[in-house]
This record gives sequence, structure tokens and C-alpha cells, in this order.
Amino acid sequence: MSARRIIVRIGFVLLLVVLAAVMLVIGRGHTVYFDNKTLEYEGQTYSAPYRVVVYIKGQPIAKLKARERGMKTTIGQSFGMALGITQEKDGEEQIIECFQKLPYNMDGVIINLPGYLAGLPEEAYISEFVAAPPAEDEDEAPGEDEEMLIDAEL
Amino acid sequence: MESSEKKNLGTAILEFIRNNIVPIMFIVICFFCIPLSGFSPSYLINEIVTRMGRNIFLILCLLIPIMAGMGLNFAMTLGAMAGEIALIFVSDLQIWGIPGVILAMIFSIPFSILLGLLCGSILNRAKGREMITSYIISFFLNGLYQLVVLFMMGSIIPIRHFSIKLPRGYGIRNTVSLLNMRQCLDNLLAVYIRGVKIPVLTFLIIGLLCLFIIWFRKTKLGQDMRAVGQDMQVARDAGINVEHTRLISIVISTVMAGFGMIIYLQNMGNLSTYSSHSQIGMFCIAALLVGGASVDKASIGNVFLGVILFHTMFIVAPSAGAAITGDSMIGEYFRVFCSYGVITIALVMYESKKRRSRSRSAQELARAAARETESAGKAAVK
Repeated sequence: MSARRIIVRIGFVLLLVVLAAVMLVIGRGHTVYFDNKTLEYEGQTYSAPYRVVVYIKGQPIAKLKARERGMKTTIGQSFGMALGITQEKDGEEQIIECFQKLPYNMDGVIINLPGYLAGLPEEAYISEFVAAPPAEDEDEAPGEDEEMLIDAEL
Repeated sequence: MESSEKKNLGTAILEFIRNNIVPIMFIVICFFCIPLSGFSPSYLINEIVTRMGRNIFLILCLLIPIMAGMGLNFAMTLGAMAGEIALIFVSDLQIWGIPGVILAMIFSIPFSILLGLLCGSILNRAKGREMITSYIISFFLNGLYQLVVLFMMGSIIPIRHFSIKLPRGYGIRNTVSLLNMRQCLDNLLAVYIRGVKIPVLTFLIIGLLCLFIIWFRKTKLGQDMRAVGQDMQVARDAGINVEHTRLISIVISTVMAGFGMIIYLQNMGNLSTYSSHSQIGMFCIAALLVGGASVDKASIGNVFLGVILFHTMFIVAPSAGAAITGDSMIGEYFRVFCSYGVITIALVMYESKKRRSRSRSAQELARAAARETESAGKAAVK
């Protein structure tokens, strides 16, 4: 095999590795949960506003009253949103543009909005959402007849 | 003069029908079944377009082994398995959307190459019996796939995500959800025309593959494959490395099948871990044959025609069956019967055509030998 061919092949493999690495970073999926719940941190209480509306790309995706939770799936580690905050009933909505880096290792990221709005450090308002594993009998291993099934949705 | 012209025309029509009996049969079936099914044209077109986007890539991967004279590659299932394994890893890593699809395609390449090399080297030891050998290889490797996915993943091969792992701690669940990448290729750049969704990006990818196949045929390797497909001995005498060429054709086909399976599954939105791949080879081959391809000749046009006809039949058969007999299961059985039936017809026709041409050339040889003897006799008398 000629040296040129070897170089081309190695280059192609490297290109694929780089592309895979880029996809691993930009394609990481997260579910972001927005908690409009009062937060206790280092002896201080950060109370939830009356209502928070979460806008993403101009679209309202969650309208949260105190003690409510909303969610949104997203791809990548940078998460931009706008929060429409109404502190009291019949009060005026104040829009705040925010940007949050999401931790790569968390599938579900809980953002406590009062803590975030108070400008607390990340560990105070970000926590991991751990879903309960499905029940034991919900999905079993394949049976013997599994092989014979014909994919009707071809 | 006129009567001989009419006779020639009649022979040509008969020859055309004989050569295209399978597509003609399917056109007739669809012609009767479509009105009986009661589907609206827009629904039918929508379904056909969706299935074209879903299946064409997979079927195109069959063309290269046919070009290399290896017949219908039943071992494309191996590529499908590679694609599925890649998708399991991507799901475990939680990579979503188009990056997930691209990553799955990259991950599938080493598995596909490995399986393609294994399959190709076995097929090189079974020349002339490639189809049955590839069919059995797909069964053998299905067993291996199940061993890996059911027992090794989660125990030896690290699988982290509980949503795809069986509750016992190892093995992959029956169904892996691909909801986060569902139709991501189809929806990007999608165009709606009178309620019919055209997945432009998917068709662009298919178009690129078609261009690749057309270009590939003109390359040195493509020409070598065609030469090997026509006559292995002549190709070998011409200095072509026959075994290597055949091996490459199977590897390319397997890699493409892996990509095709990923496109197919992103459209479906879920992966039936233990059964998605098992019938895929059979249905892809049936669709190709319905398009008028044969064991030794297939074109891109056959792929498109085959997908349209085969899947039209697939869509309308249950409803037509229900309208005729009152039982939609008849239609279900009918479409499965058709898929296997068409493969049988194509194989029988291929064999009979081969025998006919063999006997014709034997007759011509005998006639030439007789003429030679006669002329030699005459020369001796003189």
C-alpha cells in the first residue's frame, strides 16, 4: 500500500473521530426542569414569585405559579431562555433574558428559578433530576416467539 | 412483410411481459386493491412518500453486490445489526436529533466493516452459492447479535442508561425509544404540498447515494466489479483481484445497510432490539425484485419502482382484504405471502432464464459443430 493511500486513510479516520467528538458535544440531550419553588440556601430563604413564564425562542413553554414545575427538552450544553416574572398577583411582568450552561453529565437538570434569579452560585440552584427506574415487570427480555414477528410497520 | 412485422411486435410484447412479469403483476394488484382500500389519494401518496424516504437507502445497498455478481445480499441484515448496535450506544450516551443520527452512522462503520469482511470472506469460499450462504450467515450472526445485546451489554460492555437496560442489570430492553431523534432528518427541510409531506433532506441523502452509485460504476473499482460480475475467470485473467473486489462490494453494501437502517429507524422513532433487523433483508429484496430487478441485474430505477409498487401493496392490502373478505388479517397474510412469493418467482425465473440461455448456446454450439463436420466431409469428398 502506498504512503499516500495510508495517509488518506488515516486522515479519513481522524476526520470521523473529530466529527464524532463534535457530535458528542453538540448533540447531548437534556431535559431541563424549571422549579418555581421557594429555596432555602445557607440559612436564607428565596421565595418564589407569583408567576414565572418561561419563553424559549419567543414561545411561552411553561407558565408556572409558585410551587409548580415545567420542563423542556434541549440539545447541547447552552440553554437560552427568557423569564417573564410577575412578583405579585396583578403585578407587571418583567422579562429577563437568561443563559445557562448545562452540566454534560446530567440527563435531567432542575433549575430552581428563585435561586437563579437571586444570582446564587450554580450548585445552589442546579440539581440533577433522577427519574425512578421503570417497574421490574414493565419490559421483559425477548421471548422465543420474538424472532418470528413480522414488522407490520414496514 | 406486414405479417412478419406484426409477428415481431407480438414477440417483442411477449418478451417484454416475460421480462417484467413481477412489476406488471404488482401494477395489476395495486390497480384492483387501491379502489377497494378506500384510501384518499393524498393519504396514499403521503404514506408512499414516507415509506420511500424510509426504505430506499436500505434497498440501494443491494445494488453493489449485484453489480459484482454476488446476487441478492441477504446478509444486508448484518449492516442493519451494526446500525442498531450504534443506535443503542447513541441512546445510552443520550445524543439526540441529527447529531445522534450522524454519530450513530459513524459508530456503525467499524461494526459494519467488521461484519462485512467476515461475510465477504465466507462468501468468497462459497462462490456460486452466495445467496443461500448470505441468508444463513444472517441467521448465524443474528444469534451472535442476540448474545451480545442480551447478555454482554450491561455486563461486559458498559451500558449506563436505565431506560434501555433491562431491570435485571444487563441486556437491552425489547424496545429502545428513539423519540428524541424521531424523524429529525425527515422534518428538517420538509415541504408540504397539498397535505403531503416531502422529506427533502432524506431525499437529498438518497439522491447523493444514487449519484455515488452512478459515479462508482465508472470508477476502476466499479468497472472491476462489473467485470467480476460478468465472468470471474475472464476478470481474473485480466489481472483483477476477484476475491478482493467481491469482498469490497460486500463491505460497501454492509456499511450502506447500516446507514440505511439508521435512517429507517429514525423515521420509525423506536428500535425493536431483537426483531427490527430480522425481516428487513427479505422485504428490501422483495421490493427490489418487484421493481423489475433480477438476481444478476438491478438499477436505481428498479429500486424506486419497487418501493412504490411494493409499499402501495403493503398499504392497501389490509384494507382491501377487509373490504373483500371482511377480515383485515387476510390482507396482512396476503402482503407477507406476496413478499415471499415474489422472491420465489424471481429466483425461479432467473434459474429458468439461465438454463434457457445455456441450452440455447449449447444448441448453437452443436449446430456450428455439425456445420463444421459437414463442410469437412464435403472437403474430404472433393
